[in-house]
Amino acid sequence: MNILVTVKNVVDVELNIQVKNGAIVQDGLQYVMNAWDENAVEATVVLKEDQGASTELVCIGDGTATVAIRKAFAMGIEGGLLIEDEAIKNVDSASYAKILQKVYEQGDYDLVITGKQSQDTDSGQTGILLAEFLGLPCVSNVVTIEAIDDKNLKVTRQADGNKEVIALQLPAVITVNDSINEPRLPALRGIMQAKKKKIKNLDLSDLGLSADDMAASKTKVLEYQAPQSRGAGQKFEGDAAEITSQVVNLLATEAKVF
Amino acid sequence: MAKVLVVADIKGGALKGSFAELVSTANDLGAEVAAVAVGAGVKALAADLATGTKTQYVADDASLEKLTAAALTAAVVDAATQFGADQVWFASTEAAKAAAPRIAAKLDAACVTDITDVQVDGSQVVILRPAVAGKVVEKVEVKADKVVAIVRAGAFDAKEGLVASENLVELSTPEADLRATIQEILTEAGGAVDLADAKIVVSCGRGAKNEEGVALLKGLAEDLNAGFGASRAMVDSGFMPHDSQVGQTGKVVAPSLYIACGISGAIQHLAGMNGSKVIVAINKDADAPIFDIADYGIVGDLFEIVPIMREEIKKVRS
Repeated sequence: MNILVTVKNVVDVELNIQVKNGAIVQDGLQYVMNAWDENAVEATVVLKEDQGASTELVCIGDGTATVAIRKAFAMGIEGGLLIEDEAIKNVDSASYAKILQKVYEQGDYDLVITGKQSQDTDSGQTGILLAEFLGLPCVSNVVTIEAIDDKNLKVTRQADGNKEVIALQLPAVITVNDSINEPRLPALRGIMQAKKKKIKNLDLSDLGLSADDMAASKTKVLEYQAPQSRGAGQKFEGDAAEITSQVVNLLATEAKVF
Repeated sequence: MAKVLVVADIKGGALKGSFAELVSTANDLGAEVAAVAVGAGVKALAADLATGTKTQYVADDASLEKLTAAALTAAVVDAATQFGADQVWFASTEAAKAAAPRIAAKLDAACVTDITDVQVDGSQVVILRPAVAGKVVEKVEVKADKVVAIVRAGAFDAKEGLVASENLVELSTPEADLRATIQEILTEAGGAVDLADAKIVVSCGRGAKNEEGVALLKGLAEDLNAGFGASRAMVDSGFMPHDSQVGQTGKVVAPSLYIACGISGAIQHLAGMNGSKVIVAINKDADAPIFDIADYGIVGDLFEIVPIMREEIKKVRS
């Protein structure tokens, strides 16, 4: 089984993010591997260990993404492609999916695993669009993967108020939920080996794409705005009975929710 | 005039509250509105689907009991094509998240998820949506003729006085994609009240510690006829079902009252509930980030506070 896993280098959402003049202030931003991609990498490495799958990652980004790629290598991914091109700026999920489609078609893969969304855009579309462009079946929001044989998986997907157990024929695309696993911390040996692994660099023309393909994005972010801040309200400390009674009364009289 | 197709969210044989919210907002935009419902037995909802819509497309067949994303996609694409929809709107569900990008690809439309506002000016469509775990708002221009959108919970309001005009159109039943088939549906022991529809949500975090804490908070939720949610920590530790997780990766809720109990307020959790109208937080740690967004913060141990709160609520309600 040959697996292609996607890795995106994204802004660390734990840190403060400021918006100024319609743009995100870049100063002080730090970048990390997208949290859901860590789950995708872990799921891929587990299939390598249990099923002898071969593993390759693809990352669309720039030179700063090598940190995320090395981390995935250190977790156990065997090979990596970095797709870097000036024309890949401010493009939508469909453009990312178009690039991944070409990567898939140039390789020999049975399964693509992506995170269910990336924590910078929170769009949750790329993996599903990739499957659609390739005409492959897709299961999104996957919480368990079980290999039946080389051509069939049994996966469970978190749905609305229940879970669906799905028989999935390969080749296919799956996107994973963060509850699927606990991504491993790379061991020192893995980190040392990761430094020796080669990253294959490609640009759009290597994939038979052009800047025009990227300009065909169907959505464009015009500007970023700061969210309306709620601000802190009243904080009550002291005798438990007294402050609880106070708050419940305020909920009834001031907030009028009871 | 824009044509908006609203996809009905149906659970337990009933139309969810989000349907009226989406239909109301589409009517406010001056659009011609149609509805599409897909599933087993959905034809019974024809009269409800007609409220605020001119046409109701239904794909009703026993085989749609286990509804795959592929089947939902095929039926909605069929309806959108017959109607000539410029926009297809979903309420935010896992089914919607799985189907919307596929529908967009088949209709050659743009796809925008988690939207909070849509402005139509002539042929220009501009959408607002949160991104980066709710730390920014994106203003997005749709550059395609058509758009498929998923509306964030609580973003749109339902209005009274919508005119109903029944005009039922039956869709053919989509063929099953045998490459991905649902073999079994595992129901989860979630709360009795649906989180998405709940006016009040009680949510439990790490501070609830154990089954005893969960039972205590469940009691509060039952008193208030509230939905019962959880932070990721309580889901990961197995105390609460996956479907109860509120946050960037779980459910987005926007109830009138959100009571966060023993939840510190990680950014991923806040992203799923900061649209709530009133937020109450109970936490032992006076510096917990949840207090930065709470309207009413109680610094204290939930094991001590919640029993008192249940009594006090009974008093003010009587």
